[in-house]
Amino acid sequence: MTDSVIHLRGVTKTYRMGKDNIVHALRGADLDVRAGEFVALMGPSGSGKSTMMNVLGCLDVPDTGTYILANEDVASLTDDELAAIRNKHIGFVFQTFNLLPRLNALENVELPLIYGGDRHERRERAQRALESVGLGERIHHRPSELSGGQQQRVAIARALLNDPAMILADEPTGNLDSRSTAEILSIFQRLNDEGKTVVMVTHEQDVAQHAKRIVRMRDGVVAGDEIVEQPLRAEEHLATMVAAS
Amino acid sequence: MKILDSFRSALQSVVVNKLRSALTMLGVIIGVAAVIAMVAVGNGASQSVQSSVLALGSNLVSVTPGSQTDAGLRGAGPTIQTLTLDDMRAIQTQLGPTIKAVDAEQRTGRWQVVYAGQNWNTQVTGVSPDYPIVRDWPLTSGDFFTESDLNIFAQVAVIGAMTSQQLFGEADPVGQTIQFRQVFGTGPFARARIINFRVIGLLDTKGSTFGFSRDDQILVPTTTAQRVLQGQTKTVDTIVVKAASSDTMDATTEDVRNVLLQRHKIAEGATPDFTVTNQNDTLAALSNITATFTLLLGAIGGISLLVGGIGIMNIMLVSVNERTREIGIRKAVGARKMDILTQFLIEAVALTGLGGILGILLGYGITQVVQQIQSGLLVIITIGTVAVAVGVSVAIGVVFGLYPAMRAASLHPIQALRYE
Ligand SMILES: Nc1ncnc2c1ncn2[C@@H]1O[C@H](COP(=O)(O)OP(=O)(O)O)[C@@H](O)[C@H]1O
Ligand SMILES: [Mg+2]
Repeated sequence: MTDSVIHLRGVTKTYRMGKDNIVHALRGADLDVRAGEFVALMGPSGSGKSTMMNVLGCLDVPDTGTYILANEDVASLTDDELAAIRNKHIGFVFQTFNLLPRLNALENVELPLIYGGDRHERRERAQRALESVGLGERIHHRPSELSGGQQQRVAIARALLNDPAMILADEPTGNLDSRSTAEILSIFQRLNDEGKTVVMVTHEQDVAQHAKRIVRMRDGVVAGDEIVEQPLRAEEHLATMVAAS
Repeated sequence: MKILDSFRSALQSVVVNKLRSALTMLGVIIGVAAVIAMVAVGNGASQSVQSSVLALGSNLVSVTPGSQTDAGLRGAGPTIQTLTLDDMRAIQTQLGPTIKAVDAEQRTGRWQVVYAGQNWNTQVTGVSPDYPIVRDWPLTSGDFFTESDLNIFAQVAVIGAMTSQQLFGEADPVGQTIQFRQVFGTGPFARARIINFRVIGLLDTKGSTFGFSRDDQILVPTTTAQRVLQGQTKTVDTIVVKAASSDTMDATTEDVRNVLLQRHKIAEGATPDFTVTNQNDTLAALSNITATFTLLLGAIGGISLLVGGIGIMNIMLVSVNERTREIGIRKAVGARKMDILTQFLIEAVALTGLGGILGILLGYGITQVVQQIQSGLLVIITIGTVAVAVGVSVAIGVVFGLYPAMRAASLHPIQALRYE
């Protein structure tokens, strides 16, 4: 038993591309995250951040090492059980949004409910989730008709639909302008204030400063871990931006 | 994942790729239409063969000379003449009330028939008084032959509706005298035989059997056919017995055989010099043939269905490939293997099912066109055929959709999301 929701020990992940090209994406990573934390995961490109997030999000399983998620050893779970965890307990947000192009915003947000969770009033719930990320309108538009920031908010609404305990975001603001970045960060901070655990990959130091803790990776291992004394508040930043414009 | 959601997303993707869906379905549409049309033609053929046989009279047991075992030789040598009118009378007296009627028939070939300068060439057959009962063939006017007509070799005739039309037009032929002529030799040496017959009855119309009109014929008493027309005294071609009902046909067949075995003094175990044929057996043999025919036609359609199925598999594989990212996204938000499998299976089944329905409509259309072109042709679409066609197209969706769907279901979420 441990008080961490995420408990990662000696996790390795190796990719083989062809015969001679072997990539050690993770080389024994250790990480503990407690409930209610807001962690920013930083590190140079290729250091294994995405691989780590995929493992944390049960999208992929480690080659070796242990991953204990909420006191459950992920190695013992079947594919379908992993799918159920992704569906109910983890909200994953991608850099490239990963929305279905043929569905409108509302239908995209409803998607997790199709595969599980409480199916009652799914239209209403999807609508409420969209409103909670500030997208009350344009909900019948397709992703291609929305801005990047709007698409990412649709993706966050989708991640929130089954009320997961943990939000994992892999460079969620990587493709966004500063205004949209601030909006997304304020959503994450609000969710974290409400008690959700948030782990977010970012390249940018000032984005990372919004988290309560920064974990640094290098060459597939965790190389640094620090507490952010005074996290920045995205709302304040947003307010000054609105005032300036 | 609820089936309803799968159906919705399946229909969505069918609608989004309208042209591709239509082209993919075309294979199934053509296949199902082929099966429907071919089987309809086959069924129609078997139905018309059956009704043709029954048009010769129902519940018939017929006796022909010669044994079945020398059927192969029969064509080579002269026809064996072993059946007589007395055989018919013996059956009549010995089987009595257990049968409905019996008739002895003797074909005499085609004759030139003349009335008031009108010439017509037709088939003349000698028959006995129960012919109308045996052949289920009533008269529209006049009377049929009696026993006394047979006894005195009366030169009387009952004529078919079409023959009457040719010789008499719309007038009533009963009571008129017609001439039978047979010409021997040619040129100046030609000699003609002329025999007068009085028409005493007119047969009802019966239509055609196997493409031949049954209404073009002249009937005369069996004895008259033998003596007057053929110059022989004894033999007949066929004795036709009408059993009391369909159920007693086997018993009647046996009884007829026993009567004749006794009369012809055939020792036990020896080959009889006659053959007894049960109409039910004929029908069974014919329906066997037509069933094979229908099956063959159905198989041709089935092959196009198979080709259609392979088309479905091809397109589904392409679709799975194209939608790898979609599959990754669905898995990332919690879709299980089974969810993805059913989604793609239902998509395949939606394609083939829709194709099946359109195919049935097209097949129906084809049969209608065929009937317009060839108006005599009977085509029959049964509920069974339609049900099988729908069932098979759905099954094809499942069978040929399964492999692509399994490919989709077994994709790794991350590999699928990284797919470009
Ligand atoms: N699915 C994969 N197949 C092959 N190589 C991969 C795969 N995912 C990641 N890698 C490789 O593993 C290394 C770490 O990648 P990643 O975790 O994406 O790093 P980061 O997100 O920190 O940039 C990189 O060299 C990358 O090319
Ligand atoms: Mg990355």
